[in-house]
Amino acid sequence: MQLSTKHLLGIRDLSSTDIQTILDTATQFKEVLQRPIKKVPSLRDITIVNLFYENSTRTRISFELAEKRLSADTINFTAGGSSVSKGETLLDTVNNILSMKVDMVVMRHSASGAPHFLAKHIPAVIVNAGDGINEHPTQALLDAFSIREKLGGLEGKRVAIIGDIMHSRVALSNIYLLKKMGAEITVAGPPTLIPKYLQDAFDVRVEYDVKKALAWCDIANVLRIQLERQNQVLFSSLREYNQAFGITRELLESIGKEIYIMHPGPINRGVELDSDVADSGQSIILEQVENGVAVRMAVLYLLSGKRESA
Amino acid sequence: MSILIRKAIIVDPDSPFHRSAKDIFIQDGIIRKIADEITDPADQLIEQEFLHLSPGWVDIFTHCCDPGYEYRETLETGARAAAKGGFTHIFVVPNTRPVVHDKSMVTYIAEKQVSVPVSLHPLGAITRDAQGKELAEMYDMYAGGAIAFSDGWNPIQSAGLMIKALQYIKTFDGIILQIPDDKSIAPQGLMNEGVISTRLGLPGKPAMAEELMVARDIKLARYTGSRLHFTGVTTAKSLEYIRRAKASGIDITCSVTPQHMYFTDTDLQGYDTNLKTELPIRGKEDAEALKNAVLDGTVDCISSHHHPLAWDQKVCEFEYAKPGMTGLQTLFGAAGALEIPTETIIRNISLNPRKIFRLPAASIVEGEIADITLFQPETRYSIEQKDLVSKSINTPFLGKTLTGKVLGIIHKNKILLQF
Repeated sequence: MQLSTKHLLGIRDLSSTDIQTILDTATQFKEVLQRPIKKVPSLRDITIVNLFYENSTRTRISFELAEKRLSADTINFTAGGSSVSKGETLLDTVNNILSMKVDMVVMRHSASGAPHFLAKHIPAVIVNAGDGINEHPTQALLDAFSIREKLGGLEGKRVAIIGDIMHSRVALSNIYLLKKMGAEITVAGPPTLIPKYLQDAFDVRVEYDVKKALAWCDIANVLRIQLERQNQVLFSSLREYNQAFGITRELLESIGKEIYIMHPGPINRGVELDSDVADSGQSIILEQVENGVAVRMAVLYLLSGKRESA
Repeated sequence: MSILIRKAIIVDPDSPFHRSAKDIFIQDGIIRKIADEITDPADQLIEQEFLHLSPGWVDIFTHCCDPGYEYRETLETGARAAAKGGFTHIFVVPNTRPVVHDKSMVTYIAEKQVSVPVSLHPLGAITRDAQGKELAEMYDMYAGGAIAFSDGWNPIQSAGLMIKALQYIKTFDGIILQIPDDKSIAPQGLMNEGVISTRLGLPGKPAMAEELMVARDIKLARYTGSRLHFTGVTTAKSLEYIRRAKASGIDITCSVTPQHMYFTDTDLQGYDTNLKTELPIRGKEDAEALKNAVLDGTVDCISSHHHPLAWDQKVCEFEYAKPGMTGLQTLFGAAGALEIPTETIIRNISLNPRKIFRLPAASIVEGEIADITLFQPETRYSIEQKDLVSKSINTPFLGKTLTGKVLGIIHKNKILLQF
C-alpha cells in the first residue's frame, strides 16, 4: 500500500488507485474508531504541525483527532497572534518550525497553490487542508467515502454539487475525485457563482435550475455560501438566494424521489439549506464529519512513510 | 577612438547596404566608411564569425525602479542589463517613488545619461502619482525631455480622463502608451481565465478585460485624432481591433512582449510565480496570434516589459507574488527562439520604435552617428543566472534555450563588447 505522490496537495495529482487505497485504508480506520480503545501506535515518533492560516473548526479538530488517534505528536499553529501578524513570510515560518524537526505539515491557507509552493521549498510531507479556491482534498475524500457507504460505490453514481462553485475548493476537489472514479456530476447554482469554463475544463453538466439537478441526482452535495465574499456583486440577497437556490423541504418533496443530502459545513441554515432538511433522515452531514477522522487517519498514515501495520 | 568592424552583415532595411557583408570604419562615434574591404588602422578591431549589426535597439517599456525601489533595480543596473541585451535606448517606466510626474523627476533620469552606456528616455506619467485622477504637467515634462506619456502599470481607467489626456498631448504632438487593462473586470484575477485557471483553482482574468480597453481607446483615439500606442497586447481579438483601426487610418500602434508569445497558460500549472505578469500569459491560440501579427506587421514593436522584483516578492504564494518579469537580456534570444526572422525582429526593436517615438534613425550609412548593436542571430544557448546583470532575477527564461546572441553595442562614442 503506497501512494504515487509524496504529498497530498490535491486530488488533481492522485490516481484512481491512490484514491481507492485511501478509501480502503479509511474503512479499516473507521473500524478502529468503533473499538473501545481508539488509539493505534502507527505514527509514534512522527511529529505533525497543523498550520492554519485561515479559520477552521471542523477540519482542524478532525485532523488533530486523527493525528492523536494515530499517536503522532502534534503542534497547532494559527495565524492570528503569531509571527505572521508581525510580517513573517510563509517560508520563514515553516522553516523555523521545521528546524524543530517536524515530519509533516498539515496546512490551510487562503492562497491557491500555497501548499504547492511549500512542497517545492521544504523537505517535510505536506497535506493540503484547503488552499484558497483551489482544493480541499481530504474533504473530497471523506465525501467520496460517505457516498460509497451510502450508495455502495462511486462509478456511475449521479452526484449534484449545488451552490457557490466559483469560490469552493470543496467543489473543485469533489469534481476531480468523482471524475477520476467514474461518477457523473451536475453542478448547479447561480451563473455568477459558476466558473465560465467549468464545463470545458471538466466535462460536467451545468444547471441553473436546482430542482432539475436534484431530480437528476442520487446524492446532492450542498455547498456553503461564503458570506465573507458577498461584498462582490454575485447575487442580490440571502433571502433571494434561499428562494431560488436553497434546498427546502418543499423542494425536496417535489422531485418525487428520495436522495441523500451532504454539506461540508458550516451550514448557513435558511440560506443554502433549510433546517428541516439538514436535520432530516436524508441528511448524512454528521456521518461525513465522523468519516472525516477515519479518512484523515488514512491519508496521514499512508503519507507518513510508516507502513508496517495498521 | 576608431573601430574597424570586419565582414559584418548589415541588417537595416533603410540602408543601401542591407543584407550585405561589409567592413565598417567608425571614428569618434561617426560611421566614416562602409566598404568591402577597409585597411585603415583602428584602435579596436572587431572580427567574429556570423557577425551581424543593425541600428541600435530600443526598448520602449523598461522599469528601472529608481528612485524608490533601488533594491530591485537602479538606473545604472537597468542600463547595464539593457546594454547586455543589445539595447542602446530604453524608455523608463514612471512607476517609481516618487512617480515621474514632473520636470524634476524627468531631469533626474535624463541626467543619469552621462554615467551609463545607453540612452535613458523617461516616460512621463499622464496623471499625478499615476493615480488616474488629475493630469500631470505633461507639457513641462515634454519640454524637459520626456519621450512619451504613460501611467505605466496603472493604465488610465476613466474614459473621460483619457480623452483629456489624448487631447492635451496634441499641443506637442505627443504620444501615449497604454497597457490595455480594464481593472473593473475580475480585479482579483491572477491568470488568464480559461480551462487551465479553472483546473488550477486560480481566479481568472478574461481576455475581455483587455479587449474592452483596446476597443474603447481606439474610439477615443479616433475622436481626438491623437497618437496612441498599446503596449503588451496579449489577445487575438485585441489585434483584430488594432488591425481594423489601423486600416481605417487611426494613428494607433502597438507592441507585444516575447513572454506572451513564448509561454502559454499551461506553463503555469506548477504555480510558477515568474509567469505571473500584469497582463496574463494567455492560451496557445493567443500566443500564436501575437506571433503572426508580428510577422504580418500588425505589431509595430516588441518590448521587454522588464520589471525587476525582489526575491521575496516572487518566492511566495502565487496570489501574493507581484506580477512582472525581467526581460532586457532575454528579449532578442526569445524572439529568435520563436523563429521570428531576424529582419522582422530588428524592425520591431529598432526601426519601428525609432520612427514611432521620433528617435534618430541611426541608419548604417556613412556619415551617420554610430548607434549600433552587434549580434549573432543563429547562436543557440541556454540562459543562466550568472549571465544576468539586472539586480533581480525574476525570469522564467532561466534554463531555456534561446536563439540569437548579443555581442555588444556601440553608442555614445563608446564600445561595449561581450564575447
